Amino acid sequence: MITGCAAITPIGNTKAEMVRHLTQGISGVKAMRSDGLLTEQIHSGVFGTVDYPIDYAFNRHHRKTMGPVAYYACQVAKEALDGAGLEEAFVTSGRMGVAFGSTHGSPTVQREIYRTFFGQSEQKLRNIGAVDYLKSMVHTTAVNITKMFGITGRVISSSTACTTSSQSIGYGYEAVKFGLQDAMLCGGADEYDTTTVAVFDNLLACSTAFNATPHLTPRPFDVRRDGLVVGEGAGAVVLEEYERARRRGAVILGEVLGFACNNNGGDMILPNMNGIEQTLRLGLDSAQIGPDRVDLISAHATATKMGDVIEAQAIGKVYGTGPLVTGLKSYMGHTMGSCGVIETILALHMMHERFVAPTLHLDDVDERCAMIRHARQLTETAVQVAAIENFAFGGVNTSLIIRKPLE
Amino acid sequence: MTRDEICSRILAIFSEKFEIDNPGLDDDLREEHEFDSIDAIELLREIEVMLDSQLTQEEKKSAMTIRTINDIVAYVIDMAAVRA
Repeated sequence: MITGCAAITPIGNTKAEMVRHLTQGISGVKAMRSDGLLTEQIHSGVFGTVDYPIDYAFNRHHRKTMGPVAYYACQVAKEALDGAGLEEAFVTSGRMGVAFGSTHGSPTVQREIYRTFFGQSEQKLRNIGAVDYLKSMVHTTAVNITKMFGITGRVISSSTACTTSSQSIGYGYEAVKFGLQDAMLCGGADEYDTTTVAVFDNLLACSTAFNATPHLTPRPFDVRRDGLVVGEGAGAVVLEEYERARRRGAVILGEVLGFACNNNGGDMILPNMNGIEQTLRLGLDSAQIGPDRVDLISAHATATKMGDVIEAQAIGKVYGTGPLVTGLKSYMGHTMGSCGVIETILALHMMHERFVAPTLHLDDVDERCAMIRHARQLTETAVQVAAIENFAFGGVNTSLIIRKPLE
Repeated sequence: MTRDEICSRILAIFSEKFEIDNPGLDDDLREEHEFDSIDAIELLREIEVMLDSQLTQEEKKSAMTIRTINDIVAYVIDMAAVRA
Protein backbone atom coordinates (compact mmCIF):
# COMPACT_ATOMS: atom_id res chain seq x y z
CA MET A 1 0.00 0.00 0.00
CA ILE A 2 1.19 3.51 -0.70
CA THR A 3 0.62 5.50 2.49
CA GLY A 4 2.77 8.57 1.86
CA CYS A 5 4.19 10.47 -1.09
CA ALA A 6 6.05 13.68 -1.79
CA ALA A 7 7.92 15.22 -4.69
CA ILE A 8 10.09 18.15 -5.65
CA THR A 9 9.55 18.75 -9.35
CA PRO A 10 9.93 21.48 -11.97
CA ILE A 11 6.13 21.82 -11.72
CA GLY A 12 5.99 22.25 -7.96
CA ASN A 13 6.52 20.69 -4.56
CA THR A 14 2.89 20.36 -3.43
CA LYS A 15 0.03 18.33 -4.83
CA ALA A 16 -1.90 21.55 -5.49
CA GLU A 17 0.93 23.07 -7.53
CA MET A 18 1.51 19.89 -9.53
CA VAL A 19 -2.19 19.51 -10.27
CA ARG A 20 -2.39 23.19 -11.26
CA HIS A 21 0.44 22.78 -13.77
CA LEU A 22 -1.02 19.53 -15.15
CA THR A 23 -4.57 20.86 -15.52
CA GLN A 24 -3.54 24.23 -16.94
CA GLY A 25 -0.85 22.89 -19.26
CA ILE A 26 1.98 24.86 -17.63
CA SER A 27 5.52 23.68 -18.33
CA GLY A 28 8.38 23.71 -15.81
CA VAL A 29 11.04 23.75 -18.53
CA LYS A 30 13.16 26.92 -18.42
CA ALA A 31 16.27 28.35 -20.03
CA MET A 32 19.25 26.40 -18.70
CA ARG A 33 21.14 28.38 -16.07
CA SER A 34 24.88 28.73 -16.55
CA ASP A 35 27.31 26.46 -14.73
CA GLY A 36 30.39 28.43 -15.81
CA LEU A 37 31.82 25.32 -17.43
CA LEU A 38 29.79 23.33 -19.94
CA THR A 39 26.69 25.39 -20.63
CA GLU A 40 28.42 27.66 -23.14
CA GLN A 41 29.32 24.63 -25.27
CA ILE A 42 26.18 22.55 -24.94
CA HIS A 43 23.81 23.01 -27.87
CA SER A 44 20.70 22.45 -25.78
CA GLY A 45 19.73 25.54 -23.78
CA VAL A 46 16.75 24.21 -21.84
CA PHE A 47 16.35 22.47 -18.47
CA GLY A 48 13.52 21.17 -16.30
CA THR A 49 14.15 23.56 -13.46
CA VAL A 50 13.26 23.66 -9.77
CA ASP A 51 13.26 27.44 -9.34
CA TYR A 52 11.20 27.95 -6.20
CA PRO A 53 12.57 28.18 -2.66
CA ILE A 54 12.47 25.06 -0.49
CA ASP A 55 12.42 25.54 3.25
CA TYR A 56 15.00 23.02 4.39
CA ALA A 57 15.22 22.67 8.15
CA PHE A 58 18.16 20.28 8.43
CA ASN A 59 20.66 20.79 11.22
CA ARG A 60 24.39 20.77 10.66
CA HIS A 61 24.80 17.27 12.03
CA HIS A 62 22.83 16.09 9.01
CA ARG A 63 23.85 18.73 6.47
CA LYS A 64 27.55 17.98 6.73
CA THR A 65 27.25 14.75 4.73
CA MET A 66 24.73 16.05 2.20
CA GLY A 67 25.30 17.34 -1.32
CA PRO A 68 22.43 19.01 -3.21
CA VAL A 69 20.98 15.64 -4.29
CA ALA A 70 20.71 14.51 -0.66
CA TYR A 71 18.91 17.75 0.24
CA TYR A 72 16.27 16.87 -2.34
CA ALA A 73 16.14 13.24 -1.20
CA CYS A 74 15.88 13.95 2.52
CA GLN A 75 13.25 16.66 2.00
CA VAL A 76 10.90 14.39 0.01
CA ALA A 77 11.60 11.54 2.46
CA LYS A 78 10.66 13.82 5.35
CA GLU A 79 7.46 14.98 3.66
CA ALA A 80 6.46 11.43 2.67
CA LEU A 81 7.10 10.08 6.19
CA ASP A 82 5.17 13.01 7.72
CA GLY A 83 2.31 12.34 5.32
CA ALA A 84 2.25 8.63 6.14
CA GLY A 85 2.15 9.41 9.85
CA LEU A 86 4.38 6.49 10.81
CA GLU A 87 5.40 6.39 14.44
CA GLU A 88 9.11 6.88 15.13
CA ALA A 89 9.40 3.60 17.03
CA PHE A 90 8.37 1.72 13.89
CA VAL A 91 10.54 3.78 11.52
CA THR A 92 13.62 2.90 13.60
CA SER A 93 12.60 -0.69 14.39
CA GLY A 94 14.44 -2.46 11.59
CA ARG A 95 11.12 -3.46 10.01
CA MET A 96 11.33 -0.49 7.66
CA GLY A 97 13.98 -0.05 4.96
CA VAL A 98 14.99 2.40 2.28
CA ALA A 99 15.21 1.96 -1.49
CA PHE A 100 16.54 5.19 -2.91
CA GLY A 101 19.01 6.22 -5.59
CA SER A 102 20.30 8.83 -7.96
CA THR A 103 22.06 8.77 -11.32
CA HIS A 104 25.51 9.40 -9.88
CA GLY A 105 25.77 10.72 -6.34
CA SER A 106 26.23 14.46 -6.31
CA PRO A 107 27.79 15.80 -9.53
CA THR A 108 28.22 19.23 -7.92
CA VAL A 109 30.45 17.74 -5.23
CA GLN A 110 32.21 15.49 -7.74
CA ARG A 111 33.03 18.55 -9.82
CA GLU A 112 34.57 20.23 -6.77
CA ILE A 113 36.73 17.16 -6.20
CA TYR A 114 37.92 17.31 -9.84
CA ARG A 115 38.71 21.00 -9.38
CA THR A 116 41.00 19.99 -6.53
CA PHE A 117 42.58 17.18 -8.58
CA PHE A 118 43.33 19.33 -11.57
CA GLY A 119 43.88 22.66 -9.84
CA GLN A 120 47.21 24.31 -9.25
CA SER A 121 47.27 23.83 -5.48
CA GLU A 122 50.19 21.88 -4.05
CA GLN A 123 47.86 20.64 -1.31
CA LYS A 124 45.62 18.33 -3.35
CA LEU A 125 45.19 15.65 -0.68
CA ARG A 126 44.63 18.17 2.09
CA ASN A 127 41.98 19.98 0.11
CA ILE A 128 39.78 16.93 -0.34
CA GLY A 129 37.22 17.21 2.43
CA ALA A 130 36.61 14.37 4.85
CA VAL A 131 32.95 14.31 3.83
CA ASP A 132 33.34 14.73 0.06
CA TYR A 133 32.95 11.00 -0.54
CA LEU A 134 29.88 10.77 1.70
CA LYS A 135 28.29 13.58 -0.30
CA SER A 136 29.16 12.19 -3.72
CA MET A 137 28.97 8.39 -3.41
CA VAL A 138 26.31 6.69 -5.44
CA HIS A 139 24.20 5.67 -2.43
CA THR A 140 24.42 9.08 -0.76
CA THR A 141 20.66 9.68 -0.98
CA ALA A 142 19.71 6.37 0.66
CA VAL A 143 22.09 6.61 3.59
CA ASN A 144 21.55 10.28 4.31
CA ILE A 145 17.88 9.31 4.63
CA THR A 146 18.67 6.40 6.98
CA LYS A 147 20.89 8.67 9.07
CA MET A 148 18.37 11.50 9.29
CA PHE A 149 15.41 9.32 10.28
CA GLY A 150 17.22 6.53 12.14
CA ILE A 151 16.04 3.86 9.70
CA THR A 152 17.75 0.56 10.43
CA GLY A 153 16.23 -1.88 7.93
CA ARG A 154 17.37 -2.88 4.47
CA VAL A 155 19.10 -0.46 2.12
CA ILE A 156 18.71 -0.80 -1.64
CA SER A 157 20.33 1.88 -3.73
CA SER A 158 19.77 1.29 -7.38
CA SER A 159 21.56 3.60 -9.78
CA THR A 160 20.31 2.73 -13.23
CA ALA A 161 19.88 6.21 -14.69
CA CYS A 162 16.28 6.67 -15.87
CA THR A 163 14.97 3.52 -14.13
CA THR A 164 16.59 4.31 -10.77
CA SER A 165 13.46 5.26 -8.87
CA SER A 166 11.06 2.92 -10.66
CA GLN A 167 13.43 0.14 -9.54
CA SER A 168 13.40 1.64 -6.04
CA ILE A 169 9.62 1.33 -5.91
CA GLY A 170 9.66 -2.10 -7.53
CA TYR A 171 12.31 -3.59 -5.26
CA GLY A 172 10.72 -1.91 -2.24
CA TYR A 173 7.38 -3.41 -3.26
CA GLU A 174 8.97 -6.86 -3.50
CA ALA A 175 10.64 -6.47 -0.09
CA VAL A 176 7.22 -5.77 1.47
CA LYS A 177 5.32 -8.29 -0.65
CA PHE A 178 7.62 -11.13 0.36
CA GLY A 179 7.63 -10.16 4.04
CA LEU A 180 11.26 -9.06 4.22
CA GLN A 181 10.21 -5.65 5.52
CA ASP A 182 6.90 -4.23 6.77
CA ALA A 183 7.48 -0.91 5.03
CA MET A 184 9.90 0.67 2.58
CA LEU A 185 10.64 4.30 1.84
CA CYS A 186 11.27 4.34 -1.91
CA GLY A 187 12.29 6.92 -4.47
CA GLY A 188 15.01 8.80 -6.26
CA ALA A 189 16.55 12.20 -6.75
CA ASP A 190 18.77 14.07 -9.14
CA GLU A 191 20.19 17.56 -8.77
CA TYR A 192 20.93 20.22 -11.40
CA ASP A 193 23.66 18.69 -13.54
CA THR A 194 25.01 19.73 -16.89
CA THR A 195 27.24 16.66 -17.34
CA THR A 196 24.13 14.61 -18.05
CA VAL A 197 22.97 17.21 -20.56
CA ALA A 198 26.39 17.13 -22.23
CA VAL A 199 26.24 13.35 -22.60
CA PHE A 200 22.84 13.43 -24.31
CA ASP A 201 23.89 16.49 -26.31
CA ASN A 202 26.90 14.62 -27.68
CA LEU A 203 24.61 11.74 -28.61
CA LEU A 204 22.44 14.24 -30.53
CA ALA A 205 19.55 13.25 -28.26
CA CYS A 206 18.86 16.66 -26.65
CA SER A 207 16.28 19.20 -27.71
CA THR A 208 18.01 22.19 -29.33
CA ALA A 209 15.38 23.86 -31.52
CA PHE A 210 13.41 25.48 -28.69
CA ASN A 211 16.13 27.28 -26.75
CA ALA A 212 14.26 30.57 -27.20
CA THR A 213 10.94 29.01 -26.15
CA PRO A 214 11.81 26.45 -23.47
CA HIS A 215 8.19 25.94 -22.43
CA LEU A 216 7.47 24.36 -25.85
CA THR A 217 9.82 21.38 -25.41
CA PRO A 218 10.11 18.39 -24.98
CA ARG A 219 7.34 17.23 -27.34
CA PRO A 220 6.75 13.49 -26.90
CA PHE A 221 5.13 11.75 -29.91
CA ASP A 222 4.83 15.07 -31.82
CA VAL A 223 6.30 15.37 -35.32
CA ARG A 224 8.30 18.43 -34.20
CA ARG A 225 9.96 16.66 -31.27
CA ASP A 226 13.71 17.10 -31.36
CA GLY A 227 14.98 15.30 -28.32
CA LEU A 228 14.83 15.15 -24.58
CA VAL A 229 15.21 17.87 -21.98
CA VAL A 230 17.13 17.04 -18.82
CA GLY A 231 15.57 18.11 -15.53
CA GLU A 232 16.04 17.92 -11.78
CA GLY A 233 13.84 16.73 -8.95
CA ALA A 234 13.03 14.08 -6.39
CA GLY A 235 10.21 11.91 -5.20
CA ALA A 236 9.48 9.48 -2.39
CA VAL A 237 6.70 7.05 -1.60
CA VAL A 238 6.09 5.06 1.56
CA LEU A 239 5.11 1.46 0.82
CA GLU A 240 3.54 -0.38 3.70
CA GLU A 241 2.17 -3.87 4.22
CA TYR A 242 -1.62 -3.82 3.90
CA GLU A 243 -2.63 -5.32 7.25
CA ARG A 244 -0.28 -3.03 9.12
CA ALA A 245 -1.53 0.04 7.28
CA ARG A 246 -5.14 -0.97 7.88
CA ARG A 247 -4.62 -1.69 11.59
CA ARG A 248 -3.13 1.72 12.29
CA GLY A 249 -5.82 3.45 10.26
CA ALA A 250 -3.43 4.86 7.66
CA VAL A 251 -4.83 6.78 4.71
CA ILE A 252 -4.15 4.54 1.72
CA LEU A 253 -3.24 6.57 -1.36
CA GLY A 254 -2.83 3.65 -3.72
CA GLU A 255 -1.54 0.15 -4.14
CA VAL A 256 1.34 -1.26 -6.13
CA LEU A 257 -0.19 -4.17 -8.01
CA GLY A 258 2.83 -5.36 -9.93
CA PHE A 259 6.37 -4.66 -11.05
CA ALA A 260 8.57 -5.93 -13.83
CA CYS A 261 12.17 -5.26 -14.74
CA ASN A 262 14.17 -6.80 -17.54
CA ASN A 263 17.05 -6.02 -19.85
CA ASN A 264 17.26 -5.79 -23.61
CA GLY A 265 20.30 -8.05 -23.50
CA GLY A 266 22.18 -6.12 -26.11
CA ASP A 267 22.74 -2.52 -27.12
CA MET A 268 23.19 -0.05 -24.28
CA ILE A 269 21.53 2.92 -25.96
CA LEU A 270 19.15 1.93 -28.73
CA PRO A 271 15.54 1.33 -27.69
CA ASN A 272 14.51 -2.29 -28.20
CA MET A 273 11.00 -3.28 -29.23
CA ASN A 274 11.17 -6.87 -27.99
CA GLY A 275 12.66 -5.86 -24.65
CA ILE A 276 10.07 -3.17 -24.00
CA GLU A 277 7.16 -5.31 -25.15
CA GLN A 278 8.31 -8.04 -22.76
CA THR A 279 8.53 -5.54 -19.90
CA LEU A 280 4.97 -4.41 -20.44
CA ARG A 281 3.71 -8.01 -20.57
CA LEU A 282 5.74 -9.01 -17.49
CA GLY A 283 4.30 -6.02 -15.61
CA LEU A 284 0.77 -7.20 -16.35
CA ASP A 285 1.69 -10.78 -15.39
CA SER A 286 3.10 -9.55 -12.09
CA ALA A 287 -0.11 -7.62 -11.39
CA GLN A 288 -2.16 -10.63 -12.53
CA ILE A 289 -4.40 -8.51 -14.73
CA GLY A 290 -5.11 -8.27 -18.43
CA PRO A 291 -4.31 -5.17 -20.50
CA ASP A 292 -7.99 -4.24 -20.57
CA ARG A 293 -7.85 -3.44 -16.84
CA VAL A 294 -5.34 -0.61 -17.32
CA ASP A 295 -6.95 2.83 -17.78
CA LEU A 296 -3.85 4.99 -18.02
CA ILE A 297 -0.29 4.56 -19.21
CA SER A 298 2.35 7.03 -18.12
CA ALA A 299 4.77 6.50 -20.98
CA HIS A 300 8.51 7.01 -20.62
CA ALA A 301 8.17 9.31 -23.67
CA THR A 302 11.38 11.30 -23.61
CA ALA A 303 10.72 12.88 -27.04
CA THR A 304 13.69 11.33 -28.79
CA LYS A 305 13.21 10.45 -32.45
CA MET A 306 13.27 6.67 -32.14
CA GLY A 307 12.52 6.10 -28.46
CA ASP A 308 8.97 7.40 -28.75
CA VAL A 309 8.27 5.35 -31.88
CA ILE A 310 9.48 2.08 -30.36
CA GLU A 311 7.59 2.75 -27.13
CA ALA A 312 4.34 3.66 -28.91
CA GLN A 313 4.56 0.52 -31.03
CA ALA A 314 5.26 -1.67 -27.99
CA ILE A 315 2.32 -0.14 -26.13
CA GLY A 316 0.18 -0.65 -29.22
CA LYS A 317 1.12 -4.34 -29.39
CA VAL A 318 0.37 -5.02 -25.72
CA TYR A 319 -2.45 -2.61 -24.95
CA GLY A 320 -3.97 -1.69 -28.31
CA THR A 321 -6.03 1.49 -28.11
CA GLY A 322 -7.53 0.81 -24.68
CA PRO A 323 -5.77 2.97 -22.10
CA LEU A 324 -5.11 6.68 -22.41
CA VAL A 325 -1.38 7.32 -22.88
CA THR A 326 0.27 10.45 -21.54
CA GLY A 327 3.88 11.63 -21.56
CA LEU A 328 4.45 13.55 -18.33
CA LYS A 329 7.98 14.57 -19.24
CA SER A 330 6.39 17.11 -21.56
CA TYR A 331 5.70 19.19 -18.40
CA MET A 332 9.09 19.04 -16.73
CA GLY A 333 11.67 17.34 -18.89
CA HIS A 334 13.42 14.15 -17.93
CA THR A 335 14.23 14.24 -14.23
CA MET A 336 16.52 11.22 -14.66
CA GLY A 337 16.85 9.13 -11.49
CA SER A 338 13.66 10.61 -10.09
CA CYS A 339 11.40 10.33 -13.14
CA GLY A 340 9.83 6.97 -12.24
CA VAL A 341 8.74 8.00 -8.76
CA ILE A 342 7.63 11.48 -9.84
CA GLU A 343 5.52 10.00 -12.65
CA THR A 344 4.06 7.47 -10.18
CA ILE A 345 3.11 10.28 -7.80
CA LEU A 346 1.59 12.35 -10.60
CA ALA A 347 -0.43 9.30 -11.68
CA LEU A 348 -1.70 8.98 -8.09
CA HIS A 349 -2.69 12.66 -8.06
CA MET A 350 -4.55 12.25 -11.36
CA MET A 351 -6.35 9.16 -10.00
CA HIS A 352 -7.47 11.05 -6.91
CA GLU A 353 -8.48 14.21 -8.76
CA ARG A 354 -10.18 12.21 -11.52
CA PHE A 355 -8.40 13.58 -14.56
CA VAL A 356 -5.75 12.66 -17.09
CA ALA A 357 -3.32 15.37 -18.13
CA PRO A 358 -2.59 15.42 -21.85
CA THR A 359 0.88 15.12 -23.33
CA LEU A 360 1.86 18.77 -23.78
CA HIS A 361 2.69 20.09 -27.26
CA LEU A 362 1.26 17.04 -28.98
CA ASP A 363 -0.04 19.16 -31.84
CA ASP A 364 0.61 16.74 -34.66
CA VAL A 365 1.06 13.06 -33.77
CA ASP A 366 3.91 11.35 -35.59
CA GLU A 367 2.13 8.74 -37.70
CA ARG A 368 4.61 6.11 -36.50
CA CYS A 369 3.31 6.76 -32.96
CA ALA A 370 -0.36 6.96 -33.93
CA MET A 371 -1.47 3.41 -33.08
CA ILE A 372 -2.20 4.21 -29.41
CA ARG A 373 -4.83 6.33 -27.65
CA HIS A 374 -2.95 9.55 -26.91
CA ALA A 375 -4.23 11.89 -24.20
CA ARG A 376 -4.47 15.08 -26.26
CA GLN A 377 -6.67 17.20 -24.04
CA LEU A 378 -7.41 17.41 -20.35
CA THR A 379 -9.78 14.50 -19.71
CA GLU A 380 -12.08 14.10 -16.73
CA THR A 381 -12.07 10.40 -16.06
CA ALA A 382 -11.89 7.94 -13.18
CA VAL A 383 -8.61 6.08 -13.51
CA GLN A 384 -8.51 2.90 -11.42
CA VAL A 385 -5.32 1.28 -12.69
CA ALA A 386 -2.25 2.94 -14.17
CA ALA A 387 0.99 1.61 -15.63
CA ILE A 388 4.19 3.63 -15.36
CA GLU A 389 6.82 2.74 -17.94
CA ASN A 390 10.51 3.69 -17.72
CA PHE A 391 13.53 2.71 -19.79
CA ALA A 392 17.21 3.42 -19.18
CA PHE A 393 20.61 3.40 -20.81
CA GLY A 394 22.10 -0.03 -20.46
CA GLY A 395 18.90 -1.56 -21.79
CA VAL A 396 17.10 -1.61 -18.43
CA ASN A 397 13.29 -1.49 -18.62
CA THR A 398 10.68 -1.28 -15.86
CA SER A 399 6.92 -1.37 -15.64
CA LEU A 400 5.02 -0.51 -12.47
CA ILE A 401 1.29 -1.13 -12.15
CA ILE A 402 -0.58 0.84 -9.49
CA ARG A 403 -4.20 0.93 -8.43
CA LYS A 404 -6.36 3.51 -6.75
CA PRO A 405 -7.69 2.19 -3.42
CA LEU A 406 -11.16 0.72 -3.76
CA GLU A 407 -13.85 3.00 -2.37
CA MET B 1 49.51 33.57 20.02
CA THR B 2 48.42 33.62 23.64
CA ARG B 3 46.25 30.93 25.15
CA ASP B 4 43.26 33.29 25.13
CA GLU B 5 43.83 34.17 21.47
CA ILE B 6 43.97 30.48 20.54
CA CYS B 7 40.80 29.84 22.52
CA SER B 8 39.01 32.69 20.71
CA ARG B 9 40.13 31.34 17.33
CA ILE B 10 38.91 27.84 18.19
CA LEU B 11 35.56 29.16 19.40
CA ALA B 12 35.22 31.20 16.19
CA ILE B 13 35.90 28.05 14.12
CA PHE B 14 33.29 26.15 16.13
CA SER B 15 30.74 28.86 15.50
CA GLU B 16 31.46 29.34 11.78
CA LYS B 17 32.28 25.80 10.67
CA PHE B 18 30.33 23.64 13.08
CA GLU B 19 27.47 25.97 14.13
CA ILE B 20 28.30 25.26 17.77
CA ASP B 21 28.12 28.60 19.57
CA ASN B 22 29.88 29.22 22.90
CA PRO B 23 30.25 25.65 24.10
CA GLY B 24 31.43 25.26 27.67
CA LEU B 25 35.21 24.90 27.67
CA ASP B 26 34.93 21.55 29.42
CA ASP B 27 31.82 20.29 27.62
CA ASP B 28 32.20 16.81 26.13
CA LEU B 29 31.88 17.89 22.51
CA ARG B 30 30.81 14.48 21.25
CA GLU B 31 28.19 13.88 23.92
CA GLU B 32 26.80 17.39 24.18
CA HIS B 33 27.28 18.88 20.71
CA GLU B 34 27.29 15.92 18.27
CA PHE B 35 30.90 16.71 17.32
CA ASP B 36 32.03 13.48 15.65
CA SER B 37 35.14 12.02 14.00
CA ILE B 38 34.30 13.66 10.66
CA ASP B 39 34.19 17.02 12.40
CA ALA B 40 37.50 16.24 14.11
CA ILE B 41 39.17 15.75 10.71
CA GLU B 42 37.74 19.06 9.49
CA LEU B 43 38.97 20.75 12.68
CA LEU B 44 42.50 19.41 12.14
CA ARG B 45 42.52 21.06 8.70
CA GLU B 46 41.57 24.34 10.35
CA ILE B 47 44.33 23.91 12.93
CA GLU B 48 46.83 23.36 10.10
CA VAL B 49 45.73 26.66 8.60
CA MET B 50 46.03 28.32 11.99
CA LEU B 51 49.57 26.97 12.47
CA ASP B 52 50.45 27.50 8.82
CA SER B 53 51.97 24.04 8.98
CA GLN B 54 50.94 20.50 8.16
CA LEU B 55 50.35 18.05 10.97
CA THR B 56 51.92 14.61 10.70
CA GLN B 57 49.79 11.49 10.65
CA GLU B 58 50.97 10.67 14.18
CA GLU B 59 50.08 14.14 15.41
CA LYS B 60 46.62 13.79 13.88
CA LYS B 61 46.07 10.39 15.46
CA SER B 62 47.06 11.77 18.86
CA ALA B 63 44.22 14.31 18.51
CA MET B 64 41.54 11.63 18.35
CA THR B 65 41.22 11.41 22.13
CA ILE B 66 40.41 15.11 22.44
CA ARG B 67 36.98 15.73 23.97
CA THR B 68 36.77 19.39 25.07
CA ILE B 69 37.61 22.91 23.89
CA ASN B 70 40.25 23.10 26.61
CA ASP B 71 41.79 19.87 25.22
CA ILE B 72 41.87 21.42 21.75
CA VAL B 73 43.52 24.60 23.00
CA ALA B 74 46.18 22.56 24.82
CA TYR B 75 46.74 20.50 21.65
CA VAL B 76 47.23 23.62 19.53
CA ILE B 77 49.68 25.03 22.09
CA ASP B 78 51.64 21.75 21.99
CA MET B 79 51.72 21.66 18.21
CA ALA B 80 52.80 25.30 18.03
CA ALA B 81 55.56 24.65 20.57
CA VAL B 82 56.93 21.76 18.47
CA ARG B 83 57.12 24.14 15.52
CA ALA B 84 58.56 27.14 17.39
